[in-house]
Amino acid sequence: MLKNWFTKENLAVTLLLIALMVGVQVLYSAEIISPFVMLNLIIIAINIILAVSLNLVVGFTGQFSIGHAGFMALGAYASAIMTLNFNTPFIVSLLVGAIVAGIGGIIIGIPTLRLKGDYLAIATLGLAEIIRGVITNIDYLGGAYGLMGITQRTNWLWAFSCMLVTILVIKNFVQSSHGRACISVRENEIAAEAMGINTTKYKVIAFTMGSFFAGIGGALLAHYITFIEPNAFNFLKSFDILVIVVLGGQGSLTGSVVAAVVLTLISTFLQSLAELRLIIYAIILILVMLFRPQGLLGTHELSFKLLQRKRGVSHGSHSADA
Amino acid sequence: MAAILQTHSLGISFGGLKAVQDLNLTLNEEDLVGLIGPNGAGKTTVFNLLTGIYLPTTGDIIFKGESIVGLKPYQIAAKGITRTFQNIRLFGELSVLENVLIARHLHVPYNMMHAIFRLGRFYRGEKEMRDEAYELLKIMNLAHKAEEKAKNLPYGEQRRLEIARALATHPSLLLLDEPAAGMNPRETTELMELIGFIRSKFNVTILLIEHDMHLVMNICEQIYVLDYGVNIAHGTPEEIKNNPRVIEAYLGEGA
Repeated sequence: MLKNWFTKENLAVTLLLIALMVGVQVLYSAEIISPFVMLNLIIIAINIILAVSLNLVVGFTGQFSIGHAGFMALGAYASAIMTLNFNTPFIVSLLVGAIVAGIGGIIIGIPTLRLKGDYLAIATLGLAEIIRGVITNIDYLGGAYGLMGITQRTNWLWAFSCMLVTILVIKNFVQSSHGRACISVRENEIAAEAMGINTTKYKVIAFTMGSFFAGIGGALLAHYITFIEPNAFNFLKSFDILVIVVLGGQGSLTGSVVAAVVLTLISTFLQSLAELRLIIYAIILILVMLFRPQGLLGTHELSFKLLQRKRGVSHGSHSADA
Repeated sequence: MAAILQTHSLGISFGGLKAVQDLNLTLNEEDLVGLIGPNGAGKTTVFNLLTGIYLPTTGDIIFKGESIVGLKPYQIAAKGITRTFQNIRLFGELSVLENVLIARHLHVPYNMMHAIFRLGRFYRGEKEMRDEAYELLKIMNLAHKAEEKAKNLPYGEQRRLEIARALATHPSLLLLDEPAAGMNPRETTELMELIGFIRSKFNVTILLIEHDMHLVMNICEQIYVLDYGVNIAHGTPEEIKNNPRVIEAYLGEGA
């Protein structure tokens, strides 16, 4: 096991990530990174969490869900209530948010995942709007005004480490027999079923995991901007996340990461252009879909191994990938 | 020899169309049985009934002594019946190896927590699964293509991959739906030998649908003939060849 963990590649990636995490924090403390840049870095980390978790459902399992914002809302509200009313430590609020969103995923997933394609998309969209509608009508949750004065707990270290955990858990899941079962559902549901895969079970597992991490994303966001309202989780938010997944490549985790970074930066840079922003954003998307319909990375993953292969160092891949 | 699979007056109707009627199959352990008949006779429908894709309107299916009617396809696969598809249904975007690994998931030696936390059991289990998948690919002469996308294989190799994938579920009854379709005569001959080898190597009962009479007559010990959903004949290849009803079904009246 240890031998499998401490490969050269894993060590290099781990060192790089630690350097990134600590480096950014140090630069921020030294006021070299401005609060504005920090805001964007944290939003990027949250968007990566949202995109990677949606990719598990849409890209890997092939279930076209556009209700991700609904699960974000569950996580954001549940965690905010914990912090505001019960004064729980942040980690507890985060976990409660994630678990509530995960349970929401099971409850919504079991009936809707019987549907396919367009029908599933409409059903998840509708149910996410129902979640928003219900929240709007509960006074305890602040109704349409939302919740204010949530203690700001999310910082770079929290956002970045939650992002890492999300990526690692989902990567380890999809690169396992259970993850392959999910992918087989996407590839050919009838064949998967005939080969003994309980397709309903794996759809629900993927959907629940996706919702769980969407809940973490929502909780991080709530504890960063300290204010949440139902309209922040409308269908446009779901589409924003879906766009990241499609642009990065359905079935590519690194694609989602790259696309989340690129799209967050683009929309920040275009902010000064006001109305023009949406037009340029749309044009970029149209161009990518025209010239690269499978998304930036398709189903491929960026890795050090890939770089090595490009340099001509190929090695047999008989062994299990770490 | 013990019967592994029996159907009792099995039938299914789609609206007014009786696709299969009153079918009584008996397969003994390690039998190699052919199911033949003209196009549209209901052969693939029989496979769809046996694997739980269709629910029969009449009759019963007894597999290893218990009824499997009403079970979901994945439950039937877990009980030991797997199949290949006439219109190939591979996981096209995935590698040849992954196609086999997915079928091996039925007997996955670790659970989700082992995978997510990358515990030792995961690495040992993956190695075990991969080694076995490679063994199967070697038998099917596909090991050198393990990393290729399934959809990029030539037709004959895709058919062999379907068989490898079905075998990875550790079946006791293997249903082959036109395994030789689209193969040239040399490939068909190799396939015949392969099917015989698979049966003895994996101790598996095989029921196959095939239009290639040369193949069917040479390797099957028993043959069932369907015509318009009705079982018109059953017997050894010799008996079937000389059965007037079979000749009539294939060639028409007066032939």
